[in-house]
Amino acid sequence: MIQSFSALALNGFREARRNRITLVIGFFAVAMLACTTLVTEVTIHTFNRVLTDVGLGVMSVMLVLLAIFLSSGLLSREIERRTVFLIVSKPISRGLFLAGRLAGNMLTLTVLLVGMAAVFFFQMSLYRDGITSTQFVAIGVLWFELLLLSSFGFVMSSFSSQIVSAVVTTGMYFAGHLATDVYNISAKSKTEAIRVLGKVTYYLLPNLSRLNYRPQASYAVQVAPNEILSSVAYGTAYAGVLVVVAMLLFSRRDFK
Amino acid sequence: MQTTADHPPIEVRGLSKTYRLGFWMSRKVQALKSLDLTVTAGQVYGLLGPNGAGKSTTIKVLMNLVRASSGEARLFGLPPDFKEARRHIGFVPENPAPYEYLTGKEFLKLSGQLSGLSGQTLDRRVKEVLQIVGMERAAGLQIRRYSKGMIQRIALAQAIIHKPKLLILDEPTSGLDPVGRRQMRDLILAEREQGTTVLFCTHIIPDVEALCDRVAVLVGGNRVREGSVKDLLTSDAPLFETILEGVALSQIHAWGYQPKYSKEIGERLIVRTSDQEAQSLARKVLGLSGRIIQLQPVRFSLEDLFLQALTEVKESVGTEIT
Repeated sequence: MIQSFSALALNGFREARRNRITLVIGFFAVAMLACTTLVTEVTIHTFNRVLTDVGLGVMSVMLVLLAIFLSSGLLSREIERRTVFLIVSKPISRGLFLAGRLAGNMLTLTVLLVGMAAVFFFQMSLYRDGITSTQFVAIGVLWFELLLLSSFGFVMSSFSSQIVSAVVTTGMYFAGHLATDVYNISAKSKTEAIRVLGKVTYYLLPNLSRLNYRPQASYAVQVAPNEILSSVAYGTAYAGVLVVVAMLLFSRRDFK
Repeated sequence: MQTTADHPPIEVRGLSKTYRLGFWMSRKVQALKSLDLTVTAGQVYGLLGPNGAGKSTTIKVLMNLVRASSGEARLFGLPPDFKEARRHIGFVPENPAPYEYLTGKEFLKLSGQLSGLSGQTLDRRVKEVLQIVGMERAAGLQIRRYSKGMIQRIALAQAIIHKPKLLILDEPTSGLDPVGRRQMRDLILAEREQGTTVLFCTHIIPDVEALCDRVAVLVGGNRVREGSVKDLLTSDAPLFETILEGVALSQIHAWGYQPKYSKEIGERLIVRTSDQEAQSLARKVLGLSGRIIQLQPVRFSLEDLFLQALTEVKESVGTEIT
């Protein structure tokens, strides 16, 4: 089982590595990150803050785009191209196939995240006191945000086309970051129904702002370990539920 | 759970499948109707039928790609959704689509790993199957550069990499040129010689005649014929075809003959009768100064059987349930 899982995961990574879009986004992201130094040319003070802000922002945007692109097409593309026929007919469960594919996706994102983080920290090392522990926290927790987003794209991909999956996952990304605002705004309403609706929406949507420590990294604010653990546990649990849903949908699906 | 040698490789009882189509899934199409099938060890079994007859659906149910609506399918005594049931099976789907970003060798390695092979055994088998399907020279090329025939061969290679006891092939020769078809047929025959049980579906009748021990003809989701190829081809009394000149069909009817088939082409008349009738008809024609151009036995082919079955079953392809 472990052999099949790792074979699928490494194959997923190989697929992404040989995909031109992944390569272009990857190179573009690293180039943009390298160019963030130029921002300091128009900044009088607080180079560290501006670099952290722009650098982490670029990493986040690029990796989120890639996570949506990769996850939304992963299963639907396999089904449309019928590549899935040759794989799920092997002596492996559909759940293992799905887990292996998700792991391959996350491996790709992890390699890119590590590469981009290396460029980012190299730049920050050029400044005195440029590197802070909160930057590590922001980058580490970004991985869980990518995991959650990929899992959501995966669920969508198990029953809909790539375009639909990508659009809904993108919408979910923005909605997830606005979940707290939805809750706060609806809480101020005088209508009970809207307050309840706001609350239900808040609990159903993935609260992606819980996985965003980029503002704290920009201002070099220390984050309590308990809070980090709680956010990581939240992201992992939410992604876990989504993966289980994807497995249930995928295991019942007919490949016509 | 272990598969046992006591069970036939494939056993299908009362298998039915209804597809739900459309946005609301309100349209129902019955692809299979209570199909019974048994494939015993060592057989090459052909599923023959027109497009939409239910051949691919049967195979998809067996490979756990589609769930049956009712009835049961067993592979070596186990349901298809048991991964252990698929451990001894090699599968080539219709128009196989291996990952095109991989090279042939990489794809075979991945297939081997998913089938439980590893280390030196895997490397050795990859080399062996590449040699068997004649793809050693193209093994390092990405599959996106392969021709249809090469894809078909690499698909067969991945199916046999773990030395399966049962091969299930969906239209293995479809879309191939005559050379590719011959090569694919030879590869299937080679597998049969090694004792591998083969189930394959096709609508190419010469392939069935060349390869199969036993055949089932499916039409509209129903099994309309089943038996050994030999029995099916010799079950009817042999007919003789006589090509005549100088005698009209009305004259033949007047002599009391009732040909099974007749056709007038210009001055010539083609009639099919029984052996005895053919002999006496020939004598009468010659006695009337007519000419016998040709007199030969009609070989009842699978194609005739197939067309006969199609004519008998008036139902169209994939019956829609309203």
